[in-house]
Amino acid sequence: MYKLRPILKPYYDNLEKGKIMGMKCQDCGDVVWPPLPTCQKCGSTNLDWIDLGTEAVIDEIRFEDSSVGGDYTFRKADEFFVSKEPYCVCVGHFPAGTHQFHAALYGVTEENKDELTSQLPFKADAEFIQLDGGFKSVGFRVRK
Amino acid sequence: MLKQKFARPVSIIGTSSLPQRSFDDPEYKDLSIYELWAAACNQAMQDAGIKPKDVDKLVYSQMANFVTMGNVMSPVGSLEEWAGLAGKPVTHIEQACAGGYLAFNEAVNSVASGKYDIVMCAGLETPKHFNARNQPAYMLQPIQKYDGWWSPGRALFDTAYNRFDGVSDNLLTEEQGKYYIKHYGIDEKTLDDTYNAMAINLRYNASHNPRALERTPYSEIAKKAGYDDVMAYMRSDNNPKITQYIRKSGSVLHNVEAGAIIVCSADIAKKYQDHPITVIDHASVSNTQRYPFCFHQMNVDVRDALYGGQDNFNPDDLDLMITTVMTSGEQLDSAEVFGYLPEGKGYKYELEGRTRFDADRPINPHGGDLSFGHGFGCAGINMLSEAIMQMRGTAGGSQVPKPVNDVLVRGMGGGHTTVGILLENQD
Ligand SMILES: [Zn+2]
Repeated sequence: MYKLRPILKPYYDNLEKGKIMGMKCQDCGDVVWPPLPTCQKCGSTNLDWIDLGTEAVIDEIRFEDSSVGGDYTFRKADEFFVSKEPYCVCVGHFPAGTHQFHAALYGVTEENKDELTSQLPFKADAEFIQLDGGFKSVGFRVRK
Repeated sequence: MLKQKFARPVSIIGTSSLPQRSFDDPEYKDLSIYELWAAACNQAMQDAGIKPKDVDKLVYSQMANFVTMGNVMSPVGSLEEWAGLAGKPVTHIEQACAGGYLAFNEAVNSVASGKYDIVMCAGLETPKHFNARNQPAYMLQPIQKYDGWWSPGRALFDTAYNRFDGVSDNLLTEEQGKYYIKHYGIDEKTLDDTYNAMAINLRYNASHNPRALERTPYSEIAKKAGYDDVMAYMRSDNNPKITQYIRKSGSVLHNVEAGAIIVCSADIAKKYQDHPITVIDHASVSNTQRYPFCFHQMNVDVRDALYGGQDNFNPDDLDLMITTVMTSGEQLDSAEVFGYLPEGKGYKYELEGRTRFDADRPINPHGGDLSFGHGFGCAGINMLSEAIMQMRGTAGGSQVPKPVNDVLVRGMGGGHTTVGILLENQD
């Protein structure tokens, strides 16, 4: 029986408290983040919340110079970010997660990107990105 | 001969052939999207030798109608009126840049089901301009002035809820470059040269095609900038890198588009068209960019679905591949995944110019999205129109100089949907 329950509100409420929640399938053990009510691996809806912690493994770095811009649609979406600090995109995963994801990664610059790339994979801390709509999103920040 | 897969066989009997232009082009002076739409629909009907009364149903594709057409929600009624189809059934498809291909598939399905005999699929899109909600459609404004124009991360790539906003086409299609280097052991410089050669090849094609948006060959552009060696120009700051792999020349060009195609039940096709084209099969998958390498995986999944329906299908037998190329990596990845170029060796074909329209493995003879142009929800219609003209031998200056009987059209939209369509000349 599908259990009708809030998924999005608890997820975003927890982000305000500095917690990143995913969902773990009670039937096959697959973990989905951000949370979804259906297991993406086996199709079960028997999923429970799991605290993913605030540390992720960064597997790859995708660095883009957004000032070049092939066309106007390729500007980044950061107009909705309260902080205008530049970021790049990374591929990462949570130690407790079972899938890689794309996320924002702060602290990568033209100067340090080659050095950081040579250190992959490395651990990074969650960065709770304040969005202008009054909620937070999850990114990561390179450790100093 | 390929095996057509529909319960009732379907043929293509008509297509439009409008050029790819911008509203800033003098050729399109004083026009709005409505005139272009009417022209495209009428071209297709004239090509098929039918009148609006003969069309049983319309399937129309547009992605950004709310944004670009004065905040109208699905303008199906007025579009039908402009095409002379008022009172007919119409279905609107919005699935980003995959919409045009899916509109075609839905038109095919509508005939294949036996419900309708003649169906038009059509698209329109104005990526660079919009109409204010308090002004008529010919009063165009640059899209940059639209407050709230879609932002790639939010509106397109994150359709379920606000996950992460930073995704861009460039970054995610560049994973195809990453994938290529990792699996096939070529170095970054060779990949850069491959992508530059691809841009040169596509522009070469477009320079022979008056319908293309950008028609000046890169060799000419390079000369004007003081370079005798076109590759030196392509590697220079005149063609800056947007991402680690993608240069400006490897990123899609947007333009206003309208297009239309007519399909009908195969048993009546000859009545309308001397040269009907058989629709063999179509397949599509959708996915999300939450997981890395989604673009590549969608190609794999569509290939398996499409080729799986054929016995002993050999992609070497394809005469032509037409494929979306939002950024350079997409053409190479899709051509290899679909077996049109040999896996891990396709880069050599680009470097040696073998993908040009007049060479042995032509891809995107019209110039592709990098030179022919691209108009979101209409793009798929015009990619299919190019396939139709190539198969008839009427594609003009960029006509592939050999019989074009078996064609794979592969399209992608929004980073979430990939489509494959097989067409064959069986008559
Ligand atoms: Zn499961």
